Amino acid sequence: MKALTANRLADGEAVFWNQGQWVPRFKDAQLFEDAAVAETTEGEAKSQQTVVVDPYLIDVIQSEGLWAPLSFRERIRALGPSNHPQHGKQALGGDDIAALQHAHGAARSTGRVNLIKRK
Amino acid sequence: MPMRIKLRDGNLYPAEDPFTTLADDQDLVPGDVILSLSRFQAEGDRLLSEGRAVGVRLKSDEEVEALAYDLPRIAVVALEFPKFRDGRPYSSARILRERFGYAGEVRAVGDVLREQAHFMLRCGFDAFEPADGTGAQQWEAATRRFRHVYQRAADGRTPAFAEREA
Amino acid sequence: MYRYDNIDKAFVADRTAEFREQVERRLAGEITEDQFKPIRLLNGLYLQLHAYMLRIAIPYGTLNAAKLRKLAWIAKTYDQGYGHFTTRTNLQLHWIKLRDAPQILEHLAEVEMHSMQTSGNTIRNVTADPYAGATADELDDPRVWAEAIRQWSTLHPEFSFLPRKFKIAVTAAAKDRAATKIYDIGLAMRRGRNGELGFEVMVGGGLGRTPYLGSTIREFLPTRHLLSYLEAILRVYNRYGRRDNIWKARIKVLVASLGAEEFGRQVEAEWAKADHERTDLPDTELARIRAEFTPQFETLSPRSEALERAKAGDAAFARFLRHNVHPHKAPGYALVDVSLKTPGLTPGDITSEQMNVVADLAERFSLDELRVNYNQNLILPHVKLDDVPAVHAALAAAGLATPNMDLISDIIACPGLDYCALANARAIPIAQHIAERFADPVRAEQVGELKIKISGCINACGHHHVGHIGILGVDKKGEEFYQLTLGGSGEEDASLGQMLGPALPADKVTDAIEQMVEVYLRERKDGERFLDTFRRTGVTPFKEAVYADAH
Repeated sequence: MKALTANRLADGEAVFWNQGQWVPRFKDAQLFEDAAVAETTEGEAKSQQTVVVDPYLIDVIQSEGLWAPLSFRERIRALGPSNHPQHGKQALGGDDIAALQHAHGAARSTGRVNLIKRK
Repeated sequence: MPMRIKLRDGNLYPAEDPFTTLADDQDLVPGDVILSLSRFQAEGDRLLSEGRAVGVRLKSDEEVEALAYDLPRIAVVALEFPKFRDGRPYSSARILRERFGYAGEVRAVGDVLREQAHFMLRCGFDAFEPADGTGAQQWEAATRRFRHVYQRAADGRTPAFAEREA
Repeated sequence: MYRYDNIDKAFVADRTAEFREQVERRLAGEITEDQFKPIRLLNGLYLQLHAYMLRIAIPYGTLNAAKLRKLAWIAKTYDQGYGHFTTRTNLQLHWIKLRDAPQILEHLAEVEMHSMQTSGNTIRNVTADPYAGATADELDDPRVWAEAIRQWSTLHPEFSFLPRKFKIAVTAAAKDRAATKIYDIGLAMRRGRNGELGFEVMVGGGLGRTPYLGSTIREFLPTRHLLSYLEAILRVYNRYGRRDNIWKARIKVLVASLGAEEFGRQVEAEWAKADHERTDLPDTELARIRAEFTPQFETLSPRSEALERAKAGDAAFARFLRHNVHPHKAPGYALVDVSLKTPGLTPGDITSEQMNVVADLAERFSLDELRVNYNQNLILPHVKLDDVPAVHAALAAAGLATPNMDLISDIIACPGLDYCALANARAIPIAQHIAERFADPVRAEQVGELKIKISGCINACGHHHVGHIGILGVDKKGEEFYQLTLGGSGEEDASLGQMLGPALPADKVTDAIEQMVEVYLRERKDGERFLDTFRRTGVTPFKEAVYADAH
């Protein structure tokens, strides 16, 4: 399962793709089961040069019944800095935030799934 | 005829380019030509003897010192930016102007963007082939951006430390 | 301190206007991110994990009250009310919006500040001895020369697209508080045989993936030729430094591949061809700059009864005096460290409220001067001994008086994976955890000088290679692991740390530190620092202690 993420151009905030919109919370991210659909959507996102910077796909896994990015880096992007729990998205609290904070099984710290270009 | 931006009397203008840049495998054409260093070394004497104006295009890893003895008969030295991040041509241009006293055209070719205009002009470039679709007016604005400079370079501008002495 | 004249002001204003236009063009889609990225980087604006980060230049680590108050206000207005001082003595704001950045630069310009050349492949913000102008062990005020370098390097037309970033540090003291041996160019002032002042020129130091200490290519360069000689070094580097591989593009690789002797020969040949007069500053300009760095000290007694009385009744104040207060060249004055290393908090972080407290203290008690050092702390450089008790009380009330300078809880940490897009692992939580373990000031004092430096990736912003204990965060299959090195130093006895053994998981790091401290306390002989003991015993006893119970 994959999600599509980027940073918003105007303010740099980490955002996630959902049906053509960019949303700030990971729990609202659209999840892609089909890799081909995900890649097509990524291509579409890349054309939004004045909206976001550098969109890319990340792997997501299930943890405590909720979805979480697989990598530690992407969890920090979805939460905020761990030294200032009052800053970033984590300050909003909620079950989805708690799930991200507890999630286990990180497997790739860069989070990016497309670093190696497939032909 | 293709266009380039040319510095004349301190201002930048669009100007027709009388030179044809020839690739190494391209057949010779009549008129003024710009050649690679190796082709210049092979064919330069003959072409100059035909009364043509001849320029040389240097890659960023080719040293301007290779041209030191030929400079008086070279009309253009085109310095190539393979990527705008490759800063070697700035050193090449300053050496041409400040060390060798080269008075011909020093042209910026390759990945040439308006953001570099200020630096290029200061290092002694006086002709530009922008790769970003910008024109003479935008280049003129970019090169007039800074009212003061901190260093003496190849453009004759008075650096801050000398302005302060005056 | 140096004040901008109309030329400096116009320059920063022009630059700010240029950046405003560039941001507008980017937001309007007239330029792509590929084109814009190097532009914003040349103005210190990075895109990180949560937001943009603005790295504000603090030339040679010198601030005054007005500047620090403005930084406090900017952090409160455009960020989340705090900033982070770095090992390059800059200030980073981690929650910046691109659309606010031009406005922020305009506010900075009001107090003669900017963010130029805090990133990108340029000559970066120059650093110097943070004790400059206040210490008795210097031959000259290095800020005169650092300011000359600041101006010369600003938008240098030839050296704005170097193979890689380029950092210069200057000191004029015997004790190296500017880490000159780990800089691309380190300049250390020396006195020549005829009494003339000059610089020992060291080139090719740097940390990162392949760490090197700088090599001396010239024992003595007369100070007046500083800029023309720098220009010769930069030209050789710009022309011949590698551009095909980002990991081999720093000058250290060129110097190492040619050999320092051959590199020095090329520089000398280039310098011999140059017309020095065109580049070197005239004496009048040097005198003008020098006049900006002449604080007027009062004639005071070298002993302060008020301070002695305060010390007698207050163990905490006495400890603060031992660790955070240092001798000044003028009798009756002291340098006072402001600790940004409260155990449990983020190294180098400071809130807007704290910035305002420190600004007030600088204005009232330190001739309106402040310094930032590469240990991520601040310094009030000119405090009267009589005023030290009041300064201590005010700092303590603001949480800035932890008496731990150069002790085990005075840890350097880069922002790491909590903020940085380049990081592989977090650095801050490791620092927090270690510092909390050694929070007891009595115990920390018993352990004595011990410099722990943590980087969240191989770029080594946390200087881990030159930590007495260095900690490097690495990524092992998605988990944060930490490689420990021992025996590094970034000072006049500079050395690169030696690997301890296999990387440890995050939850084992603090225990390992504690085990090594125990080995040191067991092994140390009369007054040895941790570093001295390590240099005598070698790595073996430390290695045995840490890995003995590893399964």
